[in-house]
Amino acid sequence: MSGVQLKGIVKTYGAVEVVHGIDLDVAEKEFVVLVGPSGCGKSTTLRMIAGLEEISGGELTIDGRIMNRTAPKDRDVAMVFQNYALYPHLNVADNIAFGLKIRKESKEHIASAVKEVSGILGLTDYLERRPADLSGGQRQRVAMGRAIVRRPKVFLFDEPLSNLDAKLRTQMRAEIKRLHKRLGVTSIYVTHDQVEAMTLADKIVVMHDGRIEQIGTPMELFLNPANAFVAGFLGAPPMNQIKATIAAGDTGPVAMFGDQTLALAPLADLQNAVGREVIVGVRPEYAAIVTENQPGAVRCGLELVETLGSEALLHMTLGDAPFVIRTETLGNLDRLNAVNGFTVAPELIKIFDGKTGLALSGQTRAA
Amino acid sequence: MSMQEDHTGGSTEKLVAEAKEALRYRHPSRIQKVGDHMRREWQLYLLLAPTIIWLLVFLYTPMYGLQIAFKDYSIFRGVANSPWIGLEHFHTLFGSDQFIRALKNTIYISLLSLAFGFPVPILLALMFNEVLNQTFKKTAQTIVYLPHFISSVIIAGIVITAFSPSAGIVNTILEWFGVDPIYFLTKAEWFRPIFVGTTIWQEAGFQSIVYLAAIAGVSPTLYESAVVDGASRWQMMWKITVPSIMPTIIIMLIIRIGNMLEVSFEMIILLYQPATYSTADVVNTFIYRQGLQGGQYDLAAAAGLFNAVVAFVLVMTANTVSKRYSRTSLW
Repeated sequence: MSGVQLKGIVKTYGAVEVVHGIDLDVAEKEFVVLVGPSGCGKSTTLRMIAGLEEISGGELTIDGRIMNRTAPKDRDVAMVFQNYALYPHLNVADNIAFGLKIRKESKEHIASAVKEVSGILGLTDYLERRPADLSGGQRQRVAMGRAIVRRPKVFLFDEPLSNLDAKLRTQMRAEIKRLHKRLGVTSIYVTHDQVEAMTLADKIVVMHDGRIEQIGTPMELFLNPANAFVAGFLGAPPMNQIKATIAAGDTGPVAMFGDQTLALAPLADLQNAVGREVIVGVRPEYAAIVTENQPGAVRCGLELVETLGSEALLHMTLGDAPFVIRTETLGNLDRLNAVNGFTVAPELIKIFDGKTGLALSGQTRAA
Repeated sequence: MSMQEDHTGGSTEKLVAEAKEALRYRHPSRIQKVGDHMRREWQLYLLLAPTIIWLLVFLYTPMYGLQIAFKDYSIFRGVANSPWIGLEHFHTLFGSDQFIRALKNTIYISLLSLAFGFPVPILLALMFNEVLNQTFKKTAQTIVYLPHFISSVIIAGIVITAFSPSAGIVNTILEWFGVDPIYFLTKAEWFRPIFVGTTIWQEAGFQSIVYLAAIAGVSPTLYESAVVDGASRWQMMWKITVPSIMPTIIIMLIIRIGNMLEVSFEMIILLYQPATYSTADVVNTFIYRQGLQGGQYDLAAAAGLFNAVVAFVLVMTANTVSKRYSRTSLW
């Protein structure tokens, strides 16, 4: 079977286990993004795939071959590092050609490969320059060129865009996506930026504390997060999470917090959960603003309005907890300043168990 | 009218003063900049002060005495009152076989030290960097650093003992192979290899620290990237480590070239003897014998000045060449 498979992969440093038995299937030509907060084990997992970290337990297969004890050079992978890892004493052409020279490829092959790759990445005019004379984006392109030129079976990216400014990051993100479409090489990409994960991935793997929280397409994860952590990690701003108790309302189940209630979808799982402590998840863009007393609306106080042009973020307080609403400005800020509550369609609300954080079943929405 | 004059005069003066003050802020002179910096960072200047005082007292003040290189110096007349004689001492020096011999020996020994002594600390640092067993690495480092901390007198004593024709280890080993004892330290042809070897043994380990520090500064991701690309340890050493520490190597080479004529004077004094003067006597030992033992301070000062000028030219040349071809320079 081609692609990359991880079966029960474990990493320990002395007595400390940092990656706790990860299972992951990366299909051939797939673009998989490992995403999670700092220290979640995503980079360690990537480095184990590259062969830069020893695998403490489990089995790694690349292109159908077990690679646990195989030297990095024999795994047929190429890696792009966060800080580019360009050789400062070599010019762009020699940096790109480094891997080929090490493998003693013929001069003709090296010259044509460097020419082709520099053409793809728009580096043809910079081949004689040294890394110190390049901008951040150009350096990043050289780092990618060095990976591409070897035509490996798998590309590994370790937070390659985190050293770039916001504008360049957006630009390079699109370039990476285009490059993947063009080359069709299996890619595993590590980032802590959920926007990068959402925009680049065919499949996202959300990691937390050395474990996989959920695997799925970006929209699957966005619409049907498996737990409160995933719900809170994906989406900008993140999903609002309110502690509540499920109660039986007149027309169906409701979530109670303080003296307020919020109508929930009449699902069997929620109706059977009356009295259970839960976390109510509402995405900022699903909350509809209310400026007058309206039946069924949740009252909250307006603290701050952040205008983004066509949209605005309303920072509200719901009891003691913060609550963010994303809404359109429609050129009328006075209307936003008068907001005193919100409503939300019951089918858009996510309910998670108050103790385990797991999503209560029966809430699945089609992507 | 007088009121108006007063008013106008006072106002103009004030305006000029304000303009000057504004100019001072907009375009402060170098002295003003230094003054402002000193007021702001006085703690740093305080830390710098002892070194500056030391430089002034021990290196700059004695320069006053350099003039005796151009005078017929007498300790009774003093530096100021001794008569000028122009370049006579330099004529004497370059007419002296002893000085020419010392100059040739200096250049010869310096080149030998540079050729053999300069690469050794680099190779040691590269080797230490490749050792993975930490205990072995630390033990080996301690052993090679140790001679640096031993007095040159003791080092010379060890060398003299080791090369002794009667009980020295070198001759004992030679005897095992049926070779007759060699009087190494009395034979002129053996002096240079023994001297160069001794200075390498004494200083190479300690000098390797600079290169080890430079190696420690190389980003580990360069090696990781090379590992993924398929580079062996040998390839990484020559294609990453050596080029990465090249600026340090060049800086050390420039410094070394600047000090080329300052061959280890103490060690030569301790190891040489009249029988080996033909290969061992260098400019510094010549100055020592002429100046301190022979009382010819003015001639010795001329030789010393010549040494310093040559060193200055060498360091300037090396720096300029390095700047042009490798983008690395001392200043």
